[in-house]
Amino acid sequence: MAADDSTPTRFEDIDWTDVEPSGRLDLSPKALGMLVSTTLLAVLFLYDYFVVPKNNDTFEAIGWAYQVTQLDYFFALTLLAIFFFTVVPLFENPHLTRYYWDRFKQNRPAMLSLGFLLATFFIGMVGPLVLSKPELSLFAKYQPPVYTSVPKSAVIECTGRVSDGMCHGTWQYPFGTTGGGKDILNIIVYGMQVSMKVGLMSAFIVTVIGSLVGTVAAYSGGLVDEFLMRYVDIQQTFPSFLLFLLLTYQFGGSLLLFIAIFGFFSWGNTARYVRSNALQKTEEEYIKSAKATGGSTWLIIRRHLVPNTASSIITDLSLLIPSFILFEAAFAFLGFGADVPSWGRTIAAGRADLSFAWWISTIPGVFLFVTILAFNYLGDALLDALNPQADTESES
Amino acid sequence: MTDEPLLEVRDLKKHYPITQGILKKQVGSVKAVDGISFDIPRGETLGLVGESGCGKSTAATSIIQLEEPTAGEVLFNGDARNAAETAADARHRNDVTEFDPEELKQFRRQAQMIFQDPSSSLDPRMRVGESIAEPLRIHGIEDKAARQEIARNLLDRVGLSRDDYHRFPHEFSGGQKQRISLARALVTNPELIVADEPVSALDVSVQAEILTLMKDIQEEFGLSILLISHDMAVVREICDRVAVMYLGEIVEIGETEELFRNPQHPYTQALLSSIPVPDPTVDRAGTTLSGDVPSPSNPPSGCRFHTRCPDVIQPEGYDFEQEHWRAVMDLRTRLAQRDIDIEAVREFVATESDRDVEPGAVPDDAAKAAIRNEFGIPGSLQDGRAESVLAEALELIVNEDLAGADELLSTEFETVCERDAPSLSETAPGHQSACHLDSTTATTDSVESAVSDD
Repeated sequence: MAADDSTPTRFEDIDWTDVEPSGRLDLSPKALGMLVSTTLLAVLFLYDYFVVPKNNDTFEAIGWAYQVTQLDYFFALTLLAIFFFTVVPLFENPHLTRYYWDRFKQNRPAMLSLGFLLATFFIGMVGPLVLSKPELSLFAKYQPPVYTSVPKSAVIECTGRVSDGMCHGTWQYPFGTTGGGKDILNIIVYGMQVSMKVGLMSAFIVTVIGSLVGTVAAYSGGLVDEFLMRYVDIQQTFPSFLLFLLLTYQFGGSLLLFIAIFGFFSWGNTARYVRSNALQKTEEEYIKSAKATGGSTWLIIRRHLVPNTASSIITDLSLLIPSFILFEAAFAFLGFGADVPSWGRTIAAGRADLSFAWWISTIPGVFLFVTILAFNYLGDALLDALNPQADTESES
Repeated sequence: MTDEPLLEVRDLKKHYPITQGILKKQVGSVKAVDGISFDIPRGETLGLVGESGCGKSTAATSIIQLEEPTAGEVLFNGDARNAAETAADARHRNDVTEFDPEELKQFRRQAQMIFQDPSSSLDPRMRVGESIAEPLRIHGIEDKAARQEIARNLLDRVGLSRDDYHRFPHEFSGGQKQRISLARALVTNPELIVADEPVSALDVSVQAEILTLMKDIQEEFGLSILLISHDMAVVREICDRVAVMYLGEIVEIGETEELFRNPQHPYTQALLSSIPVPDPTVDRAGTTLSGDVPSPSNPPSGCRFHTRCPDVIQPEGYDFEQEHWRAVMDLRTRLAQRDIDIEAVREFVATESDRDVEPGAVPDDAAKAAIRNEFGIPGSLQDGRAESVLAEALELIVNEDLAGADELLSTEFETVCERDAPSLSETAPGHQSACHLDSTTATTDSVESAVSDD
């Protein structure tokens, strides 16, 4: 190890008179990346809002006929946050990632779940750009899924082989069609996007507000704590279901409205989790140690408190995300949903035809079921993998 | 002036308010630390010992400014604050309790703390290398590679491996974690380390290793260490000087050898006699303390140790066996707390006796005897005057007049120990003790003046 004056290799070689505490804001590359990309997003939004005429497509100038909606902007923000604060740190700390991954991969069901959810996510993102929106096509109604058949009397035009009075399914409609002739495969793919949007965006809102309120309440204590937690109490007694019905009645249903209402009214529990966890953690000696060594409040919250409360957020989220997806499906099933091709709507639409066209309700139902199951398995496995202490404690 | 002590603590106090009700009205205070003073010269280790709850940890956190002291000064004469700045007119400039945020941050670099519980003193989600390097980052070393190299080098020097940098705290044993904590405390090259029970959570064999390591490090870097411990053996191992704390006050302070060889304060003597001697043939007249540690929210008057002191001074004009006098004092302490239930005494006597007696029918004499027995007071004190006072008090007790008995005994048997708080006085060069027994001449003077004042 060559002793170099500029880079001391032993602690006693540091000349502290040279070290000036730099006044600049200590922004990590990922925070910087988040800031820059959010700014770009904001610029695009302002451009869309002020420059592009109202009914024109956002990217008309470069010849791409795509109208970016408010929902899309918000979803982009969510994805950016997930990218910079989940994916990037994993690449930044390869050792840690390897360590977590080794632990995670021992859990078979969780690996399957992760695969399924990643597939759902990517198909949901890309599929709608490739596939056309499911459209009514009455002549193609009640086509059975491939390898199955339906009495010929149920369909108008059978796309496949007809034998013994039965219409057989073909690869043209691998999952069959609905009573309106909509391709169920298309519906499933579009539904994937809807589910992912609902789950991730609501969870994003909940995570941000919940951890902010929770940590601030725990670290400030006193009146601030009292005020925030009493507000949470009040909010939790408030039925967001009714608010959603009311607003839907007033303004018409939209996915953004659903996400906003459920995101902004469901963070109470998360805040409470985070607060109780943070309260417990502030008593830990490593927090005192960081304080005794001169760490600022912000540094302690960011580098010690938040990472150590993250595991409680993850369990909370692994329950919240599927519940949001399920809520959305339930609303759609009841007919209150937004006018988007979601799984819940299709389940509701196929309800009357269950006697002969079982696939209309069943296929989206299976996807809904598997998605929710996968989130639960994933959350469980993540908690185990991210909490090395819990594991060593249970082993010893 | 390099011969001035690195740390001077002057009359440091930390009181915690006791509040009641919604409006948080203050109804009292817990005097965890109540006016302690000591110096730590450069390169020296001072041990602060005492029972749990005596305020030694609070003293540590108040000195290091994790908690704001209620009163007092903590003068830190670190390198960066040299003699010119510490001229007599500007002494307050070195008072840590008056530091502005910038000075405080500098102080936090020069004074580090090690905590008791190795399993919670390192962030479980941070690699140990990062934990060690964190203070560097906080204090403005922005070169990541340099930080990493320094941390690896330190890991090596505290007896671990350079490659442990990427491991997590739970992968280490308690002793190893404490080595890591030590590395973390060292990394900013401090002049003072405050170690709060650094080895009490470890096995005895590991304790010795860590203590040796601390000693080596101290010698190598000329550190000053304030070691907090309840264990006299640990303190003897590495401390140059020892301060003994009881209920928020320092009762004795001196060179380790001198203090262990010739303890002055009865409390120190009791603590020392609690160290096991690995020789079964040694016959030791162990000093045992009576009663519990009083609450720091309402400490005893005068000398705070008088409620438990085996050598408590006898009242003027009476002549007790010391053992009996201690027993009478125990009775007085319980009376002051109104903690004698005469009904229970009668019931006890009734169940103990062979004959069937109703608790109410227990004769007063039997109840009195039971009380004497309970406190170890003989059937009759050798001093007749004392005996008559005691008999009168017992009569009041069995008639359920505890306040009257307390009053009577307090006036008749008042001792200097409960009236005057002894101050630290020198018994030998560099050895101070706060006990009325130490400087008999001085105390009798003050006692007489106090008496004549009344």
